[in-house]
Amino acid sequence: MTSASARRDGEFACVARNLSVAYRAEPVLRNVDLFVPRGVVMGVVGPNGAGKSTLIKAMLGLVKPLTGRTEFFGLPLARVRQRVGYMPQSATVDWDFPTTVQDVVLMGTYGSLGWLRRPGRAERARAMAAMEQTGIADLASRQIGELSGGQRQRVFLARTLVQSPDLYFMDEPFQGVDAKSQQAIVAVLHALREQGKTVVIVHHDLVTVREYCDHVTLLNQRVVSSGPAAESFTKENIRTAYDVAADDDSFLEFVS
Amino acid sequence: MNFVLGTALLAVVTALACALPGTFIVLRKNSMLVDAISHAVLPGIVVGYFFTQDLESPLLIVGAALAGLVVAVGSEWLGRTGLLTGDAPQGLVFPALFSAGVILVTAKFANVHLDTHAVLVGDLNLAAWEQLTVGGVSIGPTYLYVMLAVLALNCAFLGAGYSRLKVTTFDPQFAGSLGIRVGLVNTAFMFVVSLTVTAAFHAAGAILVIALMIVPPATAYLLSRRLPVLFALTAVIAAGGALAGFWIAYELDAATSAGMAVFYGLVFVVGYLGTRIEQRRRHRLHAVRAVSTAQSAS
Ligand SMILES: Nc1ncnc2c1ncn2[C@@H]1O[C@H](COP(=O)(O)OP(=O)(O)OP(=O)(O)O)[C@@H](O)[C@H]1O
Ligand SMILES: [Mg+2]
Repeated sequence: MTSASARRDGEFACVARNLSVAYRAEPVLRNVDLFVPRGVVMGVVGPNGAGKSTLIKAMLGLVKPLTGRTEFFGLPLARVRQRVGYMPQSATVDWDFPTTVQDVVLMGTYGSLGWLRRPGRAERARAMAAMEQTGIADLASRQIGELSGGQRQRVFLARTLVQSPDLYFMDEPFQGVDAKSQQAIVAVLHALREQGKTVVIVHHDLVTVREYCDHVTLLNQRVVSSGPAAESFTKENIRTAYDVAADDDSFLEFVS
Repeated sequence: MNFVLGTALLAVVTALACALPGTFIVLRKNSMLVDAISHAVLPGIVVGYFFTQDLESPLLIVGAALAGLVVAVGSEWLGRTGLLTGDAPQGLVFPALFSAGVILVTAKFANVHLDTHAVLVGDLNLAAWEQLTVGGVSIGPTYLYVMLAVLALNCAFLGAGYSRLKVTTFDPQFAGSLGIRVGLVNTAFMFVVSLTVTAAFHAAGAILVIALMIVPPATAYLLSRRLPVLFALTAVIAAGGALAGFWIAYELDAATSAGMAVFYGLVFVVGYLGTRIEQRRRHRLHAVRAVSTAQSAS
């Protein structure tokens, strides 16, 4: 790679090139390129089964891609692990596990602690701040299984926030979260953006995409469009991504 | 050291060494794996005996534990290939290995001095027979020190790996995204379990070691949903149960490990009934309170 292009990659929080992924014979992602500029909230949008979750997992090395590679801040993941946070779509956790809400949020600090160090007062303060941001501070000492669906989702949001990475991947963070809490969390995400952090969210509610995200990537096995919302999140592109005919787009009224 | 005291201590140390890693086995819902490993190590032990002629040799213990680990990891892999479903690999591989071990024992391969009875439930008294003497003074059974070393290793492993074990058990996918090598943590943990099972084999045999590992933490799990409390309760139940079981077996002149397993079973039943009754009582209390507030409101 030339030094000029290396510097260019430095402008991006994350660059994925030519990613293809298959679970079985049929690939679910074909030659995906994704450029996420620094300091934006990017929405990844597409129908169920489009490969949104798969894309994030492949970029983070949680699923092995057939081809392609991903760099974060111009470096391979192994060298910048602390700077990248991930919130899975539906946590595959053991809800009976004997642990409290605060404990789960504290797990966000484990990456920055070594083998022997335990979370101390500083880590607990950060966890408390994250729980306040997501509105679950009063649930801190509850057992993790004793929460409602939306409350659980907010615990995992808080856990991702407490990692305080420079780049956040959140797979459907608002699933099951009520409108008021959602507003509060979006405000947190926008505050992160003001601090120069980068946020990638998978988002299904087309009505709020424009409001929440600066950049949008429309995905359906391949990248349909990617860029600033005004350019990429257009009726035309949405139709292509969701496979709808031009006369059947009553659900797109809201897009100007 | 007095023989009875030495044997009782051995029972307690063995119980603790088994039960502490058992906590994570219960949390990982992996109990059958212990059963599998405890069966798979038998041929390893017999073959190891051929080379070392000593059941307490560290070489034999580590070797057989490695064999158990390989089999456990192998069967996991076999399960992942999708050729066999669920826990079929365990049903397929482990009985065969165990039977191979039993045949080796009955054929008096390598003059191994194990009767099939001891293979099944172990023999604590026999295990405690050989005494360690320092300067002509007996300081207790040699095997006690073997198990103390295993206990120390387990405590060190659980202490150092506590956070990692916790997060890989609770949410492996997230642990992976933190850069924790989930597979490595799992394998290291299974090796520790395999080592413990092998070391405890002499005292508890292939069948009962699972009771020593699983029942105390399973009982503690009924009583608490806080991980540190869970560990403390597990230790108390394991040690208390070991002493009580030892005493039962001593009175009845039965196998000590069997006495311990029976006593653990009793403690579990009592714990279960206790928590059920407590729950029932609390519900009734709530109902009464709800009725009385409704009445005072009207
Ligand atoms: N573990 C898996 N094994 C096999 N196929 C899978 C697996 N996970 C996902 N798939 C398939 O890959 C495709 C993409 O799945 P993915 O989860 O990435 O979709 P998504 O865009 O996140 O959808 P959703 O909006 O429903 O979350 C789907 O067709 C799905 O059936
Ligand atoms: Mg998804």
